[in-house]
Amino acid sequence: MVKANTVLKSTMLCAAIGLGLMSAPSFSKEVVKIGFVGPLTGGTSSIGLGGRNSADLAVRLRNADPKSKYTYQLVTQDDECRPNVGVQVATKLAADKSIIAGVTHFCSAVAMGTAPVFARFGLPVIVWGAVLPEITYGNDFKEVHRVNGTMINQSEVAAKFMMQQGYKKWAIIHDTTDYGKGHNKYFSEFLKKDGGQILGTFGVTADQQDFTTELTKIRELKPDVIYFGGLTPLGVRIRTQMEKLGIKAQFEGTSGIKSDAYIQGVGEKLAEGSLSFLEGAPWEKLPGGLAFTGQYRLQKYSEPPEAYGPFAYAAANLIMDAVEKVGPDRKKVRDVLNQTKNVDTLVGKVTFDERRQNIVPLVTKYVVEDGKWAIWEDSSYATGKRKLSGQ
Amino acid sequence: MNSKTSLKKPATIVLFVTAIVITIYMWLFLHAESQLAVAGLIVVALIATIAGKKLGTMQHIEQAAASRPGLARIWAILGVLALTAAFYDSHFILLMMGGVLLYSTACMGLTLQFGFSGVANFAGAAFFGIGSYTAAVLATHTGLPQLVNIALSGLVAAILGSVLILPVLRTRGHYAALVTIAFGILFKTFIEVNDVLGGPQGLQVPSMEIFGYQFNEGFTLFGLDVSFYVSYVLLSLVICACAFVLLRALERSWVGLSMDVVRTDETAASTFGLHIKRWKVIAFTMGNLFAGIAGSVYGMMVGFIAPNNFTFSDSLLLLSITILGGLGNPIGLIPAALIVLILPEKFQFIQEYRVLLYAALVIAILLFRPDGLLPRKTRLFFSKGAA
Amino acid sequence: MSLIGQYVFNGLMLGVIYAMVAVGFTLFFGVLDVIKFSHGDTLMVGAFAGLTASVGMMALDISSPWLRLIAVVITAVGVTGLLGALIAKFLILPLHKAPPLNTLLATLMLGTVMREAVRLFYPDGSNSQPFPSLLPSGSVELGDLSLRADNVILLLSGIAIIAGVHFLITKTRLGMAIRAVAQDGETARLMGINFEAVVLLTFAIGSAMAALAGVMNGLYYNEINFNVGLLLGVIGFAAAILGGLGNIYGAIIGGFLFAGLQVLGSATLPALIPNIPSAYKDVFAFAVVIMLMAWKPTGLIAEKSSERV
Repeated sequence: MVKANTVLKSTMLCAAIGLGLMSAPSFSKEVVKIGFVGPLTGGTSSIGLGGRNSADLAVRLRNADPKSKYTYQLVTQDDECRPNVGVQVATKLAADKSIIAGVTHFCSAVAMGTAPVFARFGLPVIVWGAVLPEITYGNDFKEVHRVNGTMINQSEVAAKFMMQQGYKKWAIIHDTTDYGKGHNKYFSEFLKKDGGQILGTFGVTADQQDFTTELTKIRELKPDVIYFGGLTPLGVRIRTQMEKLGIKAQFEGTSGIKSDAYIQGVGEKLAEGSLSFLEGAPWEKLPGGLAFTGQYRLQKYSEPPEAYGPFAYAAANLIMDAVEKVGPDRKKVRDVLNQTKNVDTLVGKVTFDERRQNIVPLVTKYVVEDGKWAIWEDSSYATGKRKLSGQ
Repeated sequence: MNSKTSLKKPATIVLFVTAIVITIYMWLFLHAESQLAVAGLIVVALIATIAGKKLGTMQHIEQAAASRPGLARIWAILGVLALTAAFYDSHFILLMMGGVLLYSTACMGLTLQFGFSGVANFAGAAFFGIGSYTAAVLATHTGLPQLVNIALSGLVAAILGSVLILPVLRTRGHYAALVTIAFGILFKTFIEVNDVLGGPQGLQVPSMEIFGYQFNEGFTLFGLDVSFYVSYVLLSLVICACAFVLLRALERSWVGLSMDVVRTDETAASTFGLHIKRWKVIAFTMGNLFAGIAGSVYGMMVGFIAPNNFTFSDSLLLLSITILGGLGNPIGLIPAALIVLILPEKFQFIQEYRVLLYAALVIAILLFRPDGLLPRKTRLFFSKGAA
Repeated sequence: MSLIGQYVFNGLMLGVIYAMVAVGFTLFFGVLDVIKFSHGDTLMVGAFAGLTASVGMMALDISSPWLRLIAVVITAVGVTGLLGALIAKFLILPLHKAPPLNTLLATLMLGTVMREAVRLFYPDGSNSQPFPSLLPSGSVELGDLSLRADNVILLLSGIAIIAGVHFLITKTRLGMAIRAVAQDGETARLMGINFEAVVLLTFAIGSAMAALAGVMNGLYYNEINFNVGLLLGVIGFAAAILGGLGNIYGAIIGGFLFAGLQVLGSATLPALIPNIPSAYKDVFAFAVVIMLMAWKPTGLIAEKSSERV
């Protein structure tokens, strides 16, 4: 009798311990999927890959953090910088119920096309590189946020800066996607306000090869500056063909050409002195910037983060913070993101206004010096040791 | 199972069993997530096909289908309906199914043009695109009901096609080829530079609606949230089925006969009094009608169209499906469309190599098996065997 | 004045490139009655082969532009000549008996295979590759018009090549053999001409011309990407048909005509409709081609053909 009791008691004890062990916090956390979309192939692939690597870095660092409640998985899709492909992969991501949120798009044309898709399926996304204002201001989709600035600030600074340098006459080339048209619209507005003169505006298709027609006309007009609103592949062609036709004007671009691919494509000699502008403080000067580059290098990615990598990193972290707070639920994450105010990220403090757009007051000017993009203030051009064309 | 080798097996049972087997296979295939599962299923399919050929099962199935065509079609439709019900809330799978059905419809148009009358159309995607853009513009700017828009889109595509082909009909095939190629490029460039039609940015296409019921809102059935794509799949199924029936009827009729003669030997046909130009125009126009209608529904389903959807490569993709399926054989189109459209989605790693693979496949087929996967049978005027 | 001069010059450059592609099409059609649609992509492969040669030489630390230029040309011509002959032997000749549209389709797909292969397997293939400028870049000022030395060299070499091929076809024995095979393959065989060898050689020559056009294209724009072949192929085809298939003079005329249409479109359309994007020039050119085909479906210099019934 006593033996039976002992046996019974010890069995129950074992069972209790066993159950206790089983209900102890398991070592495998729930997996939460986050989507990433960017141009991984095509002319802007270097920026897309940089963004993807940065988002991936954010996910890895978060997974290595023992305090995080979930294990994150990055699901990558390539939008090829084409609206129709973008809509297809966006539908794929958004229709997949296991994906909670997305870090989306560098190409503005694509982001414009996919915003309704994300809204339709209720997938909250943060844009990491597209600068067209209409992406957040042109609609009222609560799902779409943006962590980088818009081209409004960029164009304003672009116009004012060049006027200060003493230039008076411009010719504008822009691509006919919403991105290029947006740049044209805002830049022309600000330039006219500042007193600059626009001699001619030329729209070109995003994959145009031959610019002899436009550049020949521009040569007749004799502008001081050629402003180009568009992406790297076109920028490379225009700059090269400018040289072939003997046009000596200064080349001023936008964030679209701030990539190493531009310098490689044009060649160091021709790229020298090209200008571009980027929203946000240069991450080199940000407190977390050095740590970011350090971690990035540790992972040994084959591509550099490029201009918008830090934004993708910040966007991924914002999403993961929201998931940590409210769990993997699309609607709850969306609401948390809508309320973002003064959150510290790699790119500075992020506040989403009532249209879920991050208000980024600062724009940085870049100039190509000796085969690299250098911050204007740090360059020899600012000190006057080197001069831009026509000065 | 010796019953399979005897001809006494009633056609109904053969068709029934085939339908069930194929439906279950498709369900497994569409459901499969891991590469391994997909690879396994493909191997199974290949083995089944080869075994089927050797054992003569394929022949029985074909005979059964030939003798009871109505039944075969009903089973096919039921199979698709079953799959739709099984995937009622998987958005992406339904989207793919709809895509397969609509692309098959467009390819039926191409089959009509190329397979029946020998008119080359290298701008299939352009006519598809004309359908989409027409539907988008009509839906956004006019208050016409969507059903009318679909019909109008088809008509616009058909009329544009007939205008295009008229001048080159007297000449040899490659002149028609050039005109269609030029037209395809012209269409894409035209849409791209034309801001009214959205330009490179593309257009949002309003959702389909019938008598006030908006397709884009999902609906609930028996308390389950059904994906809104279900409505589109059903609509696509109706369109595809109609196109198929039409094509078959055409083939059987004297219209189809005339087209066959025109394709085989123009000179002989004209000596027999057949009006070559007329038949070619009719074939071309009807084919584009199919493509236009398919395009309009596709635009509404995806909700967004851009000029990059309708490039020359897309026309070549449509042609690949048509050739793979067996020129002139509409039944072969569905497996061909499945292979071309769904396989890359499942086999992610071939996604990048997709175009390369299909182009190479078409070359192989043209070299070694020009009749395609399911070659079209020679016309039987008096069918033997089947009652 | 210099504006018109610039346009004319640009038109001539484009015309030379188009003419070279069109002559290739015409040669193939004349010899075998086939449309080899992968011709444009052969051009692209030639350009890439040349680029590889240049990159290779840079890696070997040989940076003299003239040496590199020679290497580029030889590699491009060699690779594509071989490619052309192989395509003829394994794809075109076997399909000789099949309906002609099959060959058209097969070569179309082949072009796609070449395009995708380059895009996928050349490092960073989907992006544009900078093509080195290997020609002297001084320029000559003629009043307001500045003529760059490299452009002039390109133009002159293009014309020389076309003239050379023309000489080959009309004044040499090989040319006579080619013309014989084009006129009547069976009789040519009866007269002792090696049909297959002549066909392979014709394809090699046509493809080599395409390679030269590709290298010229690369030198002119200082850039090549995997897509250039498609549009150039279509334009070359259109030009060859415009001029009448099988007729070399027609192909040359067709090439310059198409270029002229493009330049005309880009120059005059903006005058008629302000702010029209210059891409309309392609729409304009192709529309005119379609209309010309409607008016004269067998080309401006009509194709002389007799079909066996």
